Amino acid sequence: MTEHRLECPPSLDQETGRALLDQAHRLHPAKGDVLLLDFSNTGSMDSRGGAWMVAIAQELAHRHAELRWEGHQGEVANFIDLIEPGLETAETKHHREEGILEEIGGRAYKYAGEFWEFFNLVIDAIYWTIVGPLEGRGFRWGLWIDEVYEMGVRAVRINFLMNFLLGLIIAMLSAAQIAKFGLGIYVADAIIIGFTRELAAIMTAIVVSARTGAAITAELATMKVQEEIDALRGMGLNVAQFLIAPKILALLIVMPCLVALGMIAGILGGAVWGILAIGIRPENWFHETLLAASQGDIIQGMLKALCFAIMIVLVGCHNGLRVTGGSRGVGLMTTRAVVMDIFFIIVIDIIFATVVYYILDSSMTF
Amino acid sequence: MSDTLVEVSDLVAHYGDTLVLDRVSCEVRRGEIFLIIGGSGCGKTTLLKHMTGLLSPTSGAIRFSGRDITQMDEDQLAEMQREIGIAFQSSGLINSLTVGDNVALPLREYGQASERLIDAMVRLKLSLVGMASAQHLMPSELSGGMRKRAGLARAIALDPPIVFFDEPSAGLDPIMASGLDDLILDLRKLLGITFVIVTHELDSIRKVADRILMLDRGNVIFIGTLSEAETSSVERTRQFFERRADEFITQRNV
Ligand SMILES: Nc1ncnc2c1ncn2[C@@H]1O[C@H](COP(=O)(O)OP(=O)(O)OP(=O)(O)O)[C@@H](O)[C@H]1O
Ligand SMILES: [Mg+2]
Repeated sequence: MTEHRLECPPSLDQETGRALLDQAHRLHPAKGDVLLLDFSNTGSMDSRGGAWMVAIAQELAHRHAELRWEGHQGEVANFIDLIEPGLETAETKHHREEGILEEIGGRAYKYAGEFWEFFNLVIDAIYWTIVGPLEGRGFRWGLWIDEVYEMGVRAVRINFLMNFLLGLIIAMLSAAQIAKFGLGIYVADAIIIGFTRELAAIMTAIVVSARTGAAITAELATMKVQEEIDALRGMGLNVAQFLIAPKILALLIVMPCLVALGMIAGILGGAVWGILAIGIRPENWFHETLLAASQGDIIQGMLKALCFAIMIVLVGCHNGLRVTGGSRGVGLMTTRAVVMDIFFIIVIDIIFATVVYYILDSSMTF
Repeated sequence: MSDTLVEVSDLVAHYGDTLVLDRVSCEVRRGEIFLIIGGSGCGKTTLLKHMTGLLSPTSGAIRFSGRDITQMDEDQLAEMQREIGIAFQSSGLINSLTVGDNVALPLREYGQASERLIDAMVRLKLSLVGMASAQHLMPSELSGGMRKRAGLARAIALDPPIVFFDEPSAGLDPIMASGLDDLILDLRKLLGITFVIVTHELDSIRKVADRILMLDRGNVIFIGTLSEAETSSVERTRQFFERRADEFITQRNV
């Protein structure tokens, strides 16, 4: 081991402190070395200078070397006394390098834990939405009505607008392709099949997850952070019964209505383009639309709507209840919930497509 | 009926990997005011949440009237929790309900009373804590101290035999804080309520305490009556009652 010695400047402040750290750096202290700071010429120091001294202590602790100081007197000695705990505890975190297996294992463990929590939430939610009320254990109809209004009635306009515009866009796109061949009337088929099977359900689910899903997460997360969830449980109230079940039942009612509205809006959007821009006569357009309409497609869209509804509420609640750490956590969890919603919308859609087109065959007969 | 209402034995609690409570044992007797004191971050709230069944411990037992709440299923636990009142550090009022509806919440769920009686009871409980005029306000319209009191009103809504109260006087002015101490003493005298209170305030400790538990970094370092605490030989307890600072606050960083 060697002892390095550095002389401190007459006044240790932001600039001179940085220079001191650079000097300490250039000495390349090795394990077990000692760095001695000589304060005998130093008459003053401020808290920025003190911070640089802490930085030096951290640097040394990182290299397993030791920091000592001498010759401090008067004001400087008092100041060093004050910051001494900061110098001593400079290195507290040991960053242990994790092996790849360890990391994979750790993550798997974390996700398994999260999945288990989610599973429990699902069981609780099902119980309190279906079994609990049937057993006469109570259901909060007052909150249910509020939720239907908030989730449904207030989403009508935006949902109509989004689907209408999407209908318009799809009509534009397909018209650009097939109207060239004089087959513009078949755009009506594309619109109604697309909207009943897929587009209305997906567009509505996206609107709902951005409105309702985010709101659910933010609400529950805030309640958790502010000890409201604890307070409910402390009164012997069940969170699933009190908060989650009304939301699930509300969205189960609201979502099919919104999707039906979305189908109508999309078809209208397509019709506007078909009639005004492609120039098909209205009666022909609607005749073609009705010809292409199929009950099976509509049922498929509605079934998806129900799955999306359950998924959005559960993902929202799950993320809300998992929040840790204050207002920042609320924001993080809300973002996470919306991203998960969008992801699961696609996953559910893929499952439906596989089942309907490959397992049940495309000629689905209801 | 036995004398012991709550009995905690060898309670060990973790948050993740961090040990927060290390083999804590104590008992709360019927009709007493039991204080939990100790420095900031030493685990007082955590102990309280375990005693009320809101968190489940790593190991150890918590017996409420002789029944171990760590072994209870959800329904039994909920039933036990109806018999206790809890007022939280950050009040725990439901922000989407008015103050009055917050107090009425447990009454509506379990009180089996008519709506008129509930309204009258809400008024009564709110006036006990000096908040009668706030019945129709939302929690967000209240000051910190008012929320504390509204939280207490909700905790005593069902006249529970025991009330757990996390830092009642933090954030109150001295007059209000001393009024709250009087209220706690009155409630015990009138309704026979047992209190478990987490607090920092020396004045209110001296005023209300029957017995005191002192925690330090998750360990019980003192348990006994107020007069024993004042003359205790435990260094940190003496330091607490004499209000002496640590040499370096930061050295106790955990
Ligand atoms: N949800 C949590 N997750 C992780 N750690 C936590 C959590 N809540 C508390 N802790 C940690 O547990 C320790 C004890 O916390 P607790 O809230 O019980 O302290 P306290 O004694 O009530 O403090 P105060 O007097 O400041 O309220 C603290 O060190 C804190 O950092
Ligand atoms: Mg606390």
